[in-house]
Amino acid sequence: MTAKILPKHAMQGWIETLREHYRIIGPKPAQSQYVFGDIHSADDLDLSYPTSILPPKKVLLPQREDLFRFDSMGDTPIVEPTFDDEPTVILGIHACDMHSIALLDRVFEKGTTDQHYQTRRENTTLVSLECTTSCSEFSFCKSMGTLSVPENFDLHMTDLGDEYLLEIGSKKGENLLRGFNEVREATDADFERLNKVMSEKWSHFTYRLDFDVTELPALLSLSYDSKVWEELGDRCLACGACNIVCPTCYCFDVRDEVDFSLRSGGRFRVWDSCQLDRFAIVAGGHDFRDTRAARQRHRFFRKGKYLTDQYGVVGCVGCGRCAQACLVHISPVDTFNELHRRRVPSAAAQEEALA
Amino acid sequence: MSSTKPKIAFFDFAGCEGCQLTVLDALQTHTELLNAVEIVQFREAMSRSDDDYQIALIEGSYTRPSDEVRLQEIRDQAQIVVALGACAHLGGVNAVRNAHRLEEIKNYVYGEKAEVYEAASARPISDFIQVDAFIPGCPIDREEFVRAVKSLLQGNAPDIPDYPVCVECKLRETGCVFLYGKTCLGPITRAGCGAICPSFGVGCEGCRGLIPNPNMASLREVLSENGLDEMSVKAKMSLFLTNQIATSDMEA
Ligand code: SF4
Ligand code: SF4
Ligand code: SF4
Ligand code: SF4
Ligand code: SF4
Repeated sequence: MTAKILPKHAMQGWIETLREHYRIIGPKPAQSQYVFGDIHSADDLDLSYPTSILPPKKVLLPQREDLFRFDSMGDTPIVEPTFDDEPTVILGIHACDMHSIALLDRVFEKGTTDQHYQTRRENTTLVSLECTTSCSEFSFCKSMGTLSVPENFDLHMTDLGDEYLLEIGSKKGENLLRGFNEVREATDADFERLNKVMSEKWSHFTYRLDFDVTELPALLSLSYDSKVWEELGDRCLACGACNIVCPTCYCFDVRDEVDFSLRSGGRFRVWDSCQLDRFAIVAGGHDFRDTRAARQRHRFFRKGKYLTDQYGVVGCVGCGRCAQACLVHISPVDTFNELHRRRVPSAAAQEEALA
Repeated sequence: MSSTKPKIAFFDFAGCEGCQLTVLDALQTHTELLNAVEIVQFREAMSRSDDDYQIALIEGSYTRPSDEVRLQEIRDQAQIVVALGACAHLGGVNAVRNAHRLEEIKNYVYGEKAEVYEAASARPISDFIQVDAFIPGCPIDREEFVRAVKSLLQGNAPDIPDYPVCVECKLRETGCVFLYGKTCLGPITRAGCGAICPSFGVGCEGCRGLIPNPNMASLREVLSENGLDEMSVKAKMSLFLTNQIATSDMEA
């Protein structure tokens, strides 16, 4: 492993150096919560943040994103795509959110590559941050297998007290340290400190899922007709908050806005939510998920089964944001546990119980 | 495209004229509006008054039997009738009075002169005439108004959100006011205002009206869990939603 040591007091200098070449985004306080936003100096940044309202996904897939401009005033209509290629560094991404970015990368490159996402992604450098304590009472990353950062980081930071150990994951990550001489090579003693942090952290997290996450897709398959969905549907407000705050949700709606000429304008996309009343209405007015129960089922099937079937990775990274945002206390881990508690016992288990 | 600009007229019924003021604001920030349409009647802004118009934007609620006649006249003339703002769209704050006996209210407000004044329950204008489009809010949102005018010019119905305020609130990363011990009608209220109230730390009062299929029972539980007693819930929901809740409770 190649690693460097960054003293915390050098953070300001590092940010200044980075700002010469990059836009920097990182966690910062907003009201009594945290958001990912522009970082101009080390004072803006708070790497001890618990969790953010929206995940850093919003940097790669902005809430509202221009796709192209059109103009049909002249003889030949003009269509000009919009791309954002500003070199950007995201600082302090937690493990769960790194897993979600790994998933989004697969989603947006499958089939026809999404060039808007791709352009941003290529120009973005990911600096992850080791989670050493649980970020909120709602998170359950340990159960989902997402508490260790995946291999997609460019630079990975671990807090060693008054210094950060920076593990270099790519050329892009290495570039962030170029021309900055307040970092030093990590020594054996530093790696020992790292090992200590890494071995101690696990006990600060609890398993909240009552079964192994690998059983989740099968559990959902058995639970399609469960009463649980009706019960959730009765409570759910269809407010969409759970989708909007989720790092693995990627549905968007595409809209046009014209200028006053009515001949030119732009097309943009905005995040959408499968919990909303009108989400699944198709041409002709048919709504193929017209009850809240059907939409709740769909949401949890996406998180626990469909995405795993399609992309081979878990669709819920256990960040707990949705549970925190939900006014009626609907949470994935509680839902999955409830389905497990009420699961139809397999024939073998029934026989065993009878024997 | 025809060279004659569509003629637009503004009308006011019972309301505070805040929506018309927002239109005036919009005319100043989006001067292209004036090139795109011809305003033939707008008491708030000009003395000219011409009864030849295609699009009528009506502010204010129905509050007197004689309003029906005037509404009908406008409907007969206009090709497109738009309800402008919460009063025209929902009955507005005026509808708070609907919960009381009309005679009591009249005596309370007009005292001895109660018999001189005409009054009825406050209703949305769509209870009396066919309304082709509505621009919700108390007051209306300037940007939404501009977009709505463009849609009408294109011959489309304005694209008014049918999802709740919570969506916009989360999109702009506002801390939910429930976390700060306050209450909010965002989960049942139509978005489009950019969740402006929560962004200033106060709960939504529902001025843009209910979303289609709101989960009223569940929201009532949330409000009670967060400390509102039955009276307060009722009061909160009567500020803008009196007429809609009467209907949705009847359906429930
Ligand atoms: S946040 Fe809760 S109430 Fe809102 S849509 Fe999601 S599950 Fe339903
Ligand atoms: S479903 Fe909830 S817990 Fe899972 S990734 Fe999405 S927001 Fe996080
Ligand atoms: S859910 Fe786990 S991985 Fe994600 S931020 Fe919290 S502690 Fe870190
Ligand atoms: S403040 Fe209101 S609108 Fe915003 S998320 Fe909370 S309930 Fe929804
Ligand atoms: S937040 Fe609610 S009360 Fe405030 S403007 Fe929007 S709809 Fe109206």
